[in-house]
Parts: sequence; structure tokens; C-alpha cells
Amino acid sequence: MKLKDIQSKAHPTFFKEHQKKLYQSLEDKHTTIEQVDVDDPLNTGMILNMGPQHPATHGVLRLMLELRGESIVKTKLDIGYLHRGVEKIAENKTYQEFMPYTDRMDYLSPYSNNVALCTAVEKIADVEVPERAHYIRMIGSELARISSHLLWLGTLVMDAGAVSFFIWTFREREKIYDIMDNLTGHRFTVSHARIGGVANDITPEAMGLIKEFIETFPQELKDYHKLLDRNRIFYDRNENVGVLTTEDALDIGATGPVLRASGYAFDIRKFTPYARYTEVEFEVPTRLEGDNLARYYVRMEEMHESIRIIRQCLDKLPGGPVRTDNAKQAYPSKDEVYYSMEGMIHDFMMTDTGICPPEGAEAYHAVEAPKGELGYFIQSDGTGHPWRLKINAPSFANLQVLENILDGEMIADTVVIIGGVDPVMGEADK
Amino acid sequence: MQDNLEKPVLNTLNKEYSRERKLSFLERIYLPEVFKALWYTLKQMFSPKFTMNYPEEKWDPPSIFRGRPVLVEDNGQERCVACGLCARACPPLAISMQANEDSDDPKERYPDFFEINMLRCIYCGFCEEVCPEEAIVMSKDYDIVFESREQAIYDKERLLVPKEDLEERLEYLRNYRNNQFGQFWDFQEENNIHSVRDRDQNWESGLSLVDILEQQKKIDETKASSTWS
Ligand code: SF4
Ligand code: SF4
Repeated sequence: MKLKDIQSKAHPTFFKEHQKKLYQSLEDKHTTIEQVDVDDPLNTGMILNMGPQHPATHGVLRLMLELRGESIVKTKLDIGYLHRGVEKIAENKTYQEFMPYTDRMDYLSPYSNNVALCTAVEKIADVEVPERAHYIRMIGSELARISSHLLWLGTLVMDAGAVSFFIWTFREREKIYDIMDNLTGHRFTVSHARIGGVANDITPEAMGLIKEFIETFPQELKDYHKLLDRNRIFYDRNENVGVLTTEDALDIGATGPVLRASGYAFDIRKFTPYARYTEVEFEVPTRLEGDNLARYYVRMEEMHESIRIIRQCLDKLPGGPVRTDNAKQAYPSKDEVYYSMEGMIHDFMMTDTGICPPEGAEAYHAVEAPKGELGYFIQSDGTGHPWRLKINAPSFANLQVLENILDGEMIADTVVIIGGVDPVMGEADK
Repeated sequence: MQDNLEKPVLNTLNKEYSRERKLSFLERIYLPEVFKALWYTLKQMFSPKFTMNYPEEKWDPPSIFRGRPVLVEDNGQERCVACGLCARACPPLAISMQANEDSDDPKERYPDFFEINMLRCIYCGFCEEVCPEEAIVMSKDYDIVFESREQAIYDKERLLVPKEDLEERLEYLRNYRNNQFGQFWDFQEENNIHSVRDRDQNWESGLSLVDILEQQKKIDETKASSTWS
């Protein structure tokens, strides 16, 4: 069955061009095309266009499903509806200026994105980051992971039919937003990490809220477990749905929880540790089944581990500055800027030229974002702007998985499977 | 813990892993589970409210909040010297200005016009971060409305806010953002003679490392606050 079929079926006799265009736009839109097939007397085959509507397909993701009755024969994904040319923007901004744009990539966990860019720049320009900043970054990233997984959980359960559950996970996310507000200054677009450290130290209010959160959240998680683990409706909707076998997972290049649910404990935090993940203890949960239920358990356990990491970070949080004191690499303190000529000059230099990695230098640095391996590849030409900045987005890799595991599933499970893979289109489309 | 990817491993933190994929008879008939879920729902009805009747009730952001960027008005005039640094630092290029000079004024320069396009601004706070005169800061203003694109371009008149109204933010900046870190040295405050910065006698230009560590220790020992429950 061809995808572009409506045009071959219709035979306009007048205003041909115009009608053709109409049919074409109909085809391009979310249409349902009935197929008449000689081998299919009941006429069950059809092509269903799903999306690109937010939030039904978890962002502006378009799926073209070839159906036979209720089961999916083939799937094709269409992405790019949220393309903003972020990589190109980066080439016209200094590294520091580009940082707020990363908030808008994986907008469910902006903190990890900030950290990913800054660590990549620090790697290419050889910047030393103070201890305390590392720990603050870890706390922020783990909070972002919980926040992202909570949204995934809420939408997954909502996709499976329980709408009010979504509100409860959002209530917990609201607390993380409150923390982010007090920690970074914004609820959503945090822009907190800076090259060479973080923008500001933790405030007492943020500290109080974080401590409150890690006290109360494990109880909520337990409640979620109680509610969902043994619930037959949820169980039946997820068990053996969207199975990604272990071999396929590696071949396709799945990453993050999707890969770990298929049996590989690949976690950047363990394999190539950044920040101070070597100093804290945590487990990398895995499952072997590779279905949606396995992904559910992996992500739930990751939230437990995140709380554990935050707790250790708070215990170990060292004192000291939160940004490197080298004015060639990061902004000097404002008091220096206000009262000394050198500080003022450095302020102007940092803003206008920014940090200049050596000419011809290349670096790839990845962090474990909630969705998987988020890497930034930077090529420098010796100026303050990247010559090329390539973003390796985990959602993009995981969308390849989606195209494969949807084949052969039931149409009603499509949304649950999308929910299980948890792509963010802001990141996949860049 | 796995240190290579040669073969898949199972690593569960769930103690009841063996039961994970087996439902008992009671769970199979699924009614008890449904009642459990209904009980949880009922419980939620009596938990504290998390929402707010906006706009009747307004949220008061903490002083760290980055709302609409405003120009600080000091003694009836703007503190800005039109150096253009904020416009350079602004990632979405939201700021435009034109400098002018005035020899009678102690700070000699001022912006002829200063505009921020609020449709472009992404509230990143970079303008505040780079300004060498503490002339532009982020306010608490977050509900910004306009009826046309022209109205969205805020000029100097709409941007200026007296510094008395911005005290909380300035205080926050002084305590958490402006401090020296790393190497410490005494400032010659006279260096900044033509600044209009209000220097009161007790003004502490920077905390020493010892002070910072003290402050951080206090922060780290902050008890859990119970804002939500
Ligand atoms: S950086 Fe400050 S002083 Fe310079 S133009 Fe902007 S507001 Fe004015
Ligand atoms: S807050 Fe950011 S985007 Fe807005 S005017 Fe300042 S620098 Fe520009």
C-alpha cells in the first residue's frame, strides 16, 4: 500500500491543478484514507495519520500508521514540527549567550541541558569548576530527573486511562518548580549553570524546600507504587506492550531508561562520570523484559536513586565559591566589577568575546539526562563562538525505537507506547 | 554494577521483583485494587489545596525571581550609563539603546532612548548579570500584557522603577550574587567616583572567605521548611 494514495484514487476532471492541491493538502493533514483492496474484502486496511497535535502524541510528533483492522502493520514517523535551528543559532552566539537556549531543548528537565552545555564548554576550554558548584549542579540535575520522570509517569497513566493521576504527579512537580524557583530564579527556564560554575549559591529558602522535598517525596513514590504496581488495568495495558528486545535496543541505538529496560545498565554517570558522581553511591536499575512495564519500573527506581543522590549531595556539600575565579574563563564577582577597573574590563571582555577555546579544538561531552545520553559536540575556531555545535539528543535516538516497536501492536496501544518511550519533541527536532 | 556492555544484566531495586509480573487472584479480579485507588482519590480530596485563584489571588515571587527587567531609577534619573553591555549580552537581542552625553551630570552619559522588546525577552537575567552599574535588575513583575506588538516595546518611561521599590531584589543581589569569591582584596571605593551608587557608611563591599563559609554553613544547616503540607 502506498502512502500517497488518495491522489491516485481521485480523478478530477476540471480545475485539475486546484483539486490536486486540495487532495494533496488533505493528504498532508491528519486524514483517514480508506483503502479498497481486492485481497481484503472487509476493507480493514487504512492509513491513519496521527498528530502532530500536542499533547496527544506527547508533543508535535506525527505518526503515519498503516493499519489492518486494529493492528498496526507499519509505522512511519514524521518529525521536525518544532525545529528552531538551535544548532545554527549556537554558531552566532557566544557560549554563554547560547546557554538559555538549551533550556528550551528538553523543556522537561532544563537543568540537565544547562549542565550538559556548560560541562562540554568546560571540557573544550579546560575550565576548572569549584567543588560546591559541582554538587549544586548534581542536586539540580537530579531534581530535573525526578521532574521529568514525574511528567512521564503522569502522562503514561493518563494514556492508560486514569486522568486524575496526572494531577497528582503534577502536584509533586509543582514542588520541584518551587524549588527551582528558589534555587535558580525561574520555575521552568532555569538558566542556572554558568561556564565555570553556577549563577548563584543555594539560598536558605531553596535549601529548606529541598530538604522538605526529599523527606516527603519517597512517601509519595510509595503511594504511586501501591496504586499502580498491582493494578490489573495498568498492568494489562503495559505488560508485553512495545517490546524492545535486547539486541534491537543496541542496534537501534536506544539510550537512557529505554535501553536500561532492555537490559543494558548503560548510564553515563557510571561509565564516564562527570561532576562528582564518583563521590556518591547509586545503583543503575535495569530490567530484561524491554516492554512498557519494564520501562515503568526502571524509571520509578531511578527516581528512588535520584533522591538517594540528592541526600548524599546535601551531606557532602562542601563550602567555597560557586564559580571559578579565573576572569578569563568566567565572570568576575559583581563587587569586583563595580569597584575595580580590572573587574570591569573582564566583565566587558567576557560579554563581548566570551571564553575562547583553542583553535581547532574539538570536544564531545555527554551527560545522563533523564531521557538518556545528552551530548554536545563542539568544534572551535579559536573565537568566542562555536564553529560547529552538534547536539546529540536522547529523544531523537529513542524515536528510532518507536518506529520499530510500534509495528505489530494494537492501535489503542500507540499512545501508551509513545508515553513509555517518552520523547520530547523540543529536543528531537532541535 | 555492570562495567561493560557485553551482556544484558538484571539489576532490580524492587525487593519483590519475582512478584512483579504475577498478579494474585485477588489482584486479578481487580475490584480490590480499584477500591484502593478510589480510596487514594478520596484521600486527595482532603489534602491541602495547591492551586491559586489567579488573578484574584496573586502570587508573590521570592526575591530571587527573575521577572520583567527594569531600569533602576536613582535620584530621579536612570543609573544607566548607556554602555551597551546589556544589549550585547542579551541572547535574543531584545534591548536597543542610544547613548548621549551630558557634562553637567556626574555620570556624564545617559541613554537617549532605551527599549526592551518584551516579546523577545526570555527573562534570562543576563542583562542584570553583566551591567557594571547595577542599573538594570529583574523585578517581580510577571503578568505582562499588551494589546499590540508596538505596545510590547517598553521604553525608558515604562522601564524606570525607583530603587526604593526594588530594595528586595537589590538586597538579594548584594547578599547572594555580588560577593567576591576566590581571591579577596579590599576595594578602593573611591575608584568608582562618578558612580551614583548609594554608598552608605556601613556598606560592606564584599564578604571575606571566612564570612562566605560561615554564611554557607548557615545555609546548609537550614532545616526542612514545610511550605507545602
Ligand atoms: S549594561 Fe547597565 S549601564 Fe550598560 S547600558 Fe545596560 S543598563 Fe545601562
Ligand atoms: S532578561 Fe535576558 S532576554 Fe530579557 S532583556 Fe535581559 S538579557 Fe535580554
